[in-house]
Amino acid sequence: MRVGLVGAGVISHNHLPNLQRLGAQVRVYSEAGAPELVAAHGGTVSASTVAASLDELLDWAEVIDLASPTFTHYPLARRALLAGRDVICEKPLARTDEQAAELVSLAGQTGRHLYPSHVVRYFPAYARLHGAVRDQRLGDLAVLRFYRSGGFPVRSAWFADLELSGGVVLDMMIHDLDIARWLAGEVTQVSATWTRKDGRPPAEAAHVLLTHASGAITQVSGLWGAAHLRFTTGYFAAGTGGTLEYDRAAEPGFTADLERGPARGEAVPETDPAEDPYFLVLQDFLGAIQHGTPTRVTAADGAAAVRIANAALRSAQDGRPVTLETP
Amino acid sequence: MKIGIMSFAHTHAASYVRHLRGEPGIELCAADPGPYPEGEVRGAAMAAQLQVSYRDSYDELMAWGPHGVIVTSENARHRPLVELAARHGAHILCEKPLATTWDDGLAMVRAARAAGVMLMMAFPVRFASVFARLRAQYEAGLLGDIVSIRGANNGQLPAQRAWFADPELAGGGAFADHVVHIADLIEALTRAEPLTISAISNRRLYADRARAETGGLVTISYAGGLIAAIDCSWSRPATAPTWGGLTLSVAGTAGTVDLDFFGPRARGLDAATGRPIELPYGPDLNAPMLRQFLRGAETGQQPQPDAGVGLRTLAIMLGAREAARAGSTVALSTLFPIND
Repeated sequence: MRVGLVGAGVISHNHLPNLQRLGAQVRVYSEAGAPELVAAHGGTVSASTVAASLDELLDWAEVIDLASPTFTHYPLARRALLAGRDVICEKPLARTDEQAAELVSLAGQTGRHLYPSHVVRYFPAYARLHGAVRDQRLGDLAVLRFYRSGGFPVRSAWFADLELSGGVVLDMMIHDLDIARWLAGEVTQVSATWTRKDGRPPAEAAHVLLTHASGAITQVSGLWGAAHLRFTTGYFAAGTGGTLEYDRAAEPGFTADLERGPARGEAVPETDPAEDPYFLVLQDFLGAIQHGTPTRVTAADGAAAVRIANAALRSAQDGRPVTLETP
Repeated sequence: MKIGIMSFAHTHAASYVRHLRGEPGIELCAADPGPYPEGEVRGAAMAAQLQVSYRDSYDELMAWGPHGVIVTSENARHRPLVELAARHGAHILCEKPLATTWDDGLAMVRAARAAGVMLMMAFPVRFASVFARLRAQYEAGLLGDIVSIRGANNGQLPAQRAWFADPELAGGGAFADHVVHIADLIEALTRAEPLTISAISNRRLYADRARAETGGLVTISYAGGLIAAIDCSWSRPATAPTWGGLTLSVAGTAGTVDLDFFGPRARGLDAATGRPIELPYGPDLNAPMLRQFLRGAETGQQPQPDAGVGLRTLAIMLGAREAARAGSTVALSTLFPIND
């Protein structure tokens, strides 16, 4: 399968080797860094691994994998769908609700696959929680709590621009907003409080409260903070049948205390290569494209997550809860 | 020094008595006039169990002439006891929350001030040594500016006393029981002024026993850009090995600090049932709080947390209740003005 990878940032360094592992032929297009990306993963830089233009990539590829900045997702996905290509897209599916909705309907009209990479659904601790909820181990869900934090992403300037990235809510907390909806169902009301402190690096944080149609309630907290911060994620879920909790720091499968250890700070959480969620998510999507199998996350899920995240930003801005209508 | 215990309604009364019973120089006496719910050990029987002297009425307790009293009645009944103690010139340690209505809270603070007695709030968690460490690190600049705090105070629905589940006497459910501890910690750490509150709730856990919310989530925006989230849910199953706990995660521009106040424990498994054995350890937080109160009553210096803390945390608790009821975000200064 010919996969055209767009973008050569941090997340492309996850996508490229996993696409190769899945047996895909990969060609990269990026405004900057494509040759370095290919070389870093053992490839030979040539016209068959690095595309000179987006048009060339669209011509050649069967599937377009967008690992580009958030604000480019909509125009690039739209072009790829209209060119008759299947599309895998990093989260968030798009910057605005309207863009995400349009992409979903365009995929329907063109009959192409469209998948948002909500990779946290493939992280084992979150997949376990979903399995337990599905199997009624926790009874009826009542209260859910999620948190996620790491260093403020300073590697590219667009992250700090709310208009372009949607900040910590749309870029990072959208993972947990999606998980909350996956577990407890549609969200009817969103309220949020958000803050940003300028500095080097800046710090940005938000707390989002969700009311689900099922009656469950959710809190999602996110932080982009100091550069040295470990990537932290965790959850607590309580239902009538019991509770489950997870904290990445408290559940290490590997603990080292070495004089010459690796540098601190992570852009994405380290994962176990034996069940790497970044591999599993791409395997799920490429499998669906090749064999028509159902995926764990759909384009409609991606659009719903964008709607919840944007409602949170709106609520924080207006200082009052936002009611969501299921489209 | 004579210390009076006003009511055994709150489960904390027993632990305060146990602490003070052995203190040299402290005379203790309690009153807990009925009526009591059926099946609860209260009044003279409870006093006998705790081996503490007893009076049949609050007036008799006042006639005994206490220097200070500890008010451990049902939340909604704090006001008349605080007013009575103030009239008799006794310093007051009041169980949290201060009251269940804003008017009651204001009246209590006024009564104490008019009588010239000290009113202290029973917030023991801020006396934890881990909290002192957090404060020292923050004050030394190690956290930078604090931008975000999240706290979780999750426990079982208290079982020994029925009034905790009675919205009238408790002033609500989980909001009334568990929001104020974390609100107090944020206040003690940052002294930031809370501006607006949002909250959501449900009654899915303990639905058979509770008549008010058992699940509650709160967010608060403070002056200066600090934001906070509090999970105050009674989300600990009744069958859990321990009551619950309180965690606080503080994020500053220069790093984060996470506290698990009741976390340290030895863990194991029961061979007969397979159930977890959890044996928490760590210092008792009531001891330093009670020492602070006794020192205040002795020296005449107002101990912290004071009545102002009581009012500000009450405003947050009432604000959360109102925000959840109305499904809106509420501005605290408009709803709960402190007019001195």
